Amino acid sequence: MLRWYPREWRARYGEEFTELLVSDMSERSRSVRTPADVAVNGIVARLAYAGLGQSTLEDAERSRRTLLAFACAAAVFVTVGLGIWAQLTIGWQWSPPDTVATSVAMFVMSYSVLVLLALGAMAVVPLAWPTARAALRRRNVVGPLALTLAGAGILIVGSRHFANGWPGTGGHQWAHQGLVPGGLAAFVWAATLFVTAYWAHPGALLAFPAPEIAWMVLSPVALACVALGAVGLGRQIELSPRLLHYEARLAQLGGMVMFVFLVGASLWVVDGGPGPRNLFHVGAIDIAGIGVMVVALVTAGRALQLIGPNPGARAAR
Amino acid sequence: MARTSRQNTTQTEFSGFGRYAGPATLILSSLADGPKHGYALTKDIEAFSGTRLAPGTLYEALSRLEGQGLIEAVESDDRRRPYQLTVLGATALRSHLAAQRRIADLGLRRLAGTWGAA
Repeated sequence: MLRWYPREWRARYGEEFTELLVSDMSERSRSVRTPADVAVNGIVARLAYAGLGQSTLEDAERSRRTLLAFACAAAVFVTVGLGIWAQLTIGWQWSPPDTVATSVAMFVMSYSVLVLLALGAMAVVPLAWPTARAALRRRNVVGPLALTLAGAGILIVGSRHFANGWPGTGGHQWAHQGLVPGGLAAFVWAATLFVTAYWAHPGALLAFPAPEIAWMVLSPVALACVALGAVGLGRQIELSPRLLHYEARLAQLGGMVMFVFLVGASLWVVDGGPGPRNLFHVGAIDIAGIGVMVVALVTAGRALQLIGPNPGARAAR
Repeated sequence: MARTSRQNTTQTEFSGFGRYAGPATLILSSLADGPKHGYALTKDIEAFSGTRLAPGTLYEALSRLEGQGLIEAVESDDRRRPYQLTVLGATALRSHLAAQRRIADLGLRRLAGTWGAA
């Protein structure tokens, strides 16, 4: 039952907790209450040690993990958000929307994506030096770095390949009127092809070309490699209080932009229409996507709340 | 002014527990008369409150209280590590229980005024 708890928690409390569990189970009749209590609190402890709650970790380590938790939540948000956004930008390649709500939503989402990508770049670039320093100190950064680069490489090459097969890239006579360049729309569409309701309709899915189905399976694996590698790197590199403060400020800005993006996406879902040739139709996958984004944003908000206004000063103590 | 500030601090410490405020109060009250390990805490709390804290709930609260500096582990060779209140924990508990007593007194006075003394 201790497996429910994170490694650090087990190292700190495992032995005494086992003693108590044994005593408790010997005194009480068998019931599901104790295993359920252990499971629930184990998950709560996992969240706490992931930086989303109170734990016995040092302030600097806790702040770093909270930032990582924010980054993971933001990554989920952006992945699902890009899936929705790409579907709409591809639609606009063929024909502009016929409702103000969808048009406004598209502009809001597109500018939000632009700002989020800029914030992401501003967050990642200053981490190059701490990563190099960690590598020089022979910390275990090579494996996570290789995993991140391999995943990113597969995503870029695969998305380029499948984007080129999409008529919206410029090969089609209608494909000249998009909100963003057709190549970019098709690239993001190909990268997020797995965000689809076709998983719930295997019959229709099997009618797709085999390489496309393989890509729909491979691309989330590649994305998971990027995320796991990035988390591994994040756990190995040391952030100075100043850099921690800088990253926290960017996270706060990112949280606000994510909220704006969600407002835009919700505007399309609530007030948009199917549009010409049903190109802007709101499907069940989009509703589910909004739900996932809400959960990711709430998680990110909780992380921001825990990071506080000045994590650098707290970590320096 | 200083009292208000301290009250705010301790209220924040307890409000951060959410559904763990109950276990936190029970644990801190149990430790008020000296250090205890997990099993002794369970038994003592059951004796004075009639509530038996399940192991997961107890250790979740212990971990939070330790993270907030309200309790600390006592060095021990025993596998069952005892915990004791810190100065901050004693202050937080005193303030929290005083606030609880004010609410209890008020409720009892109003009950007596409307429904008569028990």
